[in-house]
Amino acid sequence: MFFFTYLRRELRRRMRQATFIALGLALGIGLVVTVTAASAGVKKAQSQVLKSLYGVGTDITVTGKAPKPPSPGSLPAKGSQTFAIGPGGAQVCTNGKCHNAAGQKIDHLESDSYSPISQSAVAAIARLKHVKAAAGGLALSDTSITIPKNFGKPSGSLPTPNSFNVQGTDTSKLSLGPLSAGTITAGSSLRGSDASSDVAVVDSGYAKSHKLKVGSTVRIVGQSFTVIGIVAQPQSGSPPQVYIPLARAQALGKAMGKSMKNDVNTIYVSATSAADIPAVQHEIKSIVPGDAVTSASSLASQVTGSLSSTAKLANDLGRWLSILVLIAAFAVASLLTMAAVARRVREFGTLKALGWSSWRIITQVMAESLTVGIIGGAAGVGLGFAGAAIITAVAPKLTATIAPATGQHLVTAGPAGSQSFSPTATHTVAVPMSASVTVAALVAAVVLAVAGGLLAGSFGSWRIARLRPADALARIA
Amino acid sequence: MYQLTDVTKLYAKGRRAVPAVRDLTLAIEDGQWLAVQGRTGHGKSTLLNLLGGLDRPTSGTIEFDGKDLARLGEDQVTRLRAQSIGFIFQTFNLVPTLSAAENVEAALIPLRVRTAERRSRVNAALDSVGLADRARHLPGEMSGGQQQRAAIARALVKEPTVLLADEPTGNLDEDTRDEIINLLEKLWRQRGLTLVLVTHDTAIAQRAQRVGVMSKGLLSVRPAGRRGTPVP
Repeated sequence: MFFFTYLRRELRRRMRQATFIALGLALGIGLVVTVTAASAGVKKAQSQVLKSLYGVGTDITVTGKAPKPPSPGSLPAKGSQTFAIGPGGAQVCTNGKCHNAAGQKIDHLESDSYSPISQSAVAAIARLKHVKAAAGGLALSDTSITIPKNFGKPSGSLPTPNSFNVQGTDTSKLSLGPLSAGTITAGSSLRGSDASSDVAVVDSGYAKSHKLKVGSTVRIVGQSFTVIGIVAQPQSGSPPQVYIPLARAQALGKAMGKSMKNDVNTIYVSATSAADIPAVQHEIKSIVPGDAVTSASSLASQVTGSLSSTAKLANDLGRWLSILVLIAAFAVASLLTMAAVARRVREFGTLKALGWSSWRIITQVMAESLTVGIIGGAAGVGLGFAGAAIITAVAPKLTATIAPATGQHLVTAGPAGSQSFSPTATHTVAVPMSASVTVAALVAAVVLAVAGGLLAGSFGSWRIARLRPADALARIA
Repeated sequence: MYQLTDVTKLYAKGRRAVPAVRDLTLAIEDGQWLAVQGRTGHGKSTLLNLLGGLDRPTSGTIEFDGKDLARLGEDQVTRLRAQSIGFIFQTFNLVPTLSAAENVEAALIPLRVRTAERRSRVNAALDSVGLADRARHLPGEMSGGQQQRAAIARALVKEPTVLLADEPTGNLDEDTRDEIINLLEKLWRQRGLTLVLVTHDTAIAQRAQRVGVMSKGLLSVRPAGRRGTPVP
């Protein structure tokens, strides 16, 4: 066809200029695709972090407010066990009665980070209009220490406590909570019928380090639990190490010395749709005032670390850099196209003399620009894929740190009474960084390529539309 | 065919208006050959542009087959040019990226002629100017004379009624010049074209039926010399 022959020959004639324009567009579009891919990768990493914390399917998480540390000089809570080191050696005290702790194993299963929430709150939340499901959980910490017999004497020293996280899981709603994010690699998961059983599912990393397998036994505050399954959590997670039925965790766990029967300290909520999450969050806050109610998006704002910095870099600097490069590419393309049209005034004047309308000539010029734009876009997509691959290959693992408002607190008894200190418990996970080109990025690339071509062509076309054939031919003569 | 009445064309030059053509009244009959001579800058090309609808007069009327070109819309003039008026230029003005055949074909594009018919008409046009064997050559691969032949074929492929030639032999050597003029004359006779030819060459002008001389925008016309057919 004449149209395509003319187009092809003309682009071949100004191959260098066309290549330059296409490369400029490719650079701008490639940058957009790469930055979009990096942003998508960061979002994916953030989502993995959040999912590893609260599990798949959980839209909102309620956690009990931070327990108040005891004020200096105050007496320990009734029922709580304190460990005191004094001139007489190590002593364990309960409700004011103390005995020698030498040779004794002290094992606590405590809710250190969160205050208790009544289990009735779970039912109240589940009844809310836009709530699909709600499940309670207990995030506990089993800390044990065996006091050596010679503790307090010159050769004796306090050993390092053993500690592992225990998650009390509602076995009737396994689609919510941290266990839902994992994959069972051996044995089976908890079942509804296990609600009152002494069975446990163990994290794969913990199982490996403690040589546990299906059928092994783990002891939690002196109680033996049979391992029925091994679960592998997402790589980015820092999951609980042992999962047991919620009822068993409630029976064994304590919060400031008090039993946690009929209590939970986390509630996992699934909304009917993403649009309902803010409203549900608001309603939950009226049911559990004072407790922390977080959604994935509000939790994301608490994430710090290199993951957060990378997200900001991709979103802010990356976006603006792409825009600037694109503007420059479009400007260069437009100027070069106008210059090309100026050099072809004689040709266009002749075509007009032959009876070609301005629109026919403009269509030809626009088609040439559009072709260059599309070639640039295709090259840009290629560059974008290459950029994304390079990021995935060379980017270091990112860290995401969440510092919850609460933390553990230690209480010591001394001459001035009990003293406590609360180190902040931060939660840091490592996240692999991968950049993946999304469909949205490809669509954006096509749109930008077409827009670049049309914009460049429109400047030249404006010139053609204004061209008077007599003036063009006067230059010829 | 053409009836020009009191045609004036002024060009703005700063604050002044420079007359390129002044009060021109001229009739050109169907099938007539008018040669226009004159010094550079005296309005010859302007006259040609006005006749071809490439420019509009400042005042006066230019009737072509009963239609006033000055009053027609741009699209109408363009269509008229596409169908009825052929142009030949001093510098040939072939599109450098298109072959001889494709350059000739370019003249048929606005007429939306079907591909098969386009090809046969292009071949016939190139054949009539003796360029059948150069159909696939680019302008850069042809001599000046061959390029001008291709330009003539391009002008005639649409079977116009008018041929406007602006110094068609200006860039050619003497032998080639004669060759081209002989070809134009042959085609003029064969097709009954109305031919308006601008030239500096008196010998060429004398071959026309009438000779006009442009001087400072004014045209005076007289019958041609020996070879011209006297025109009342």
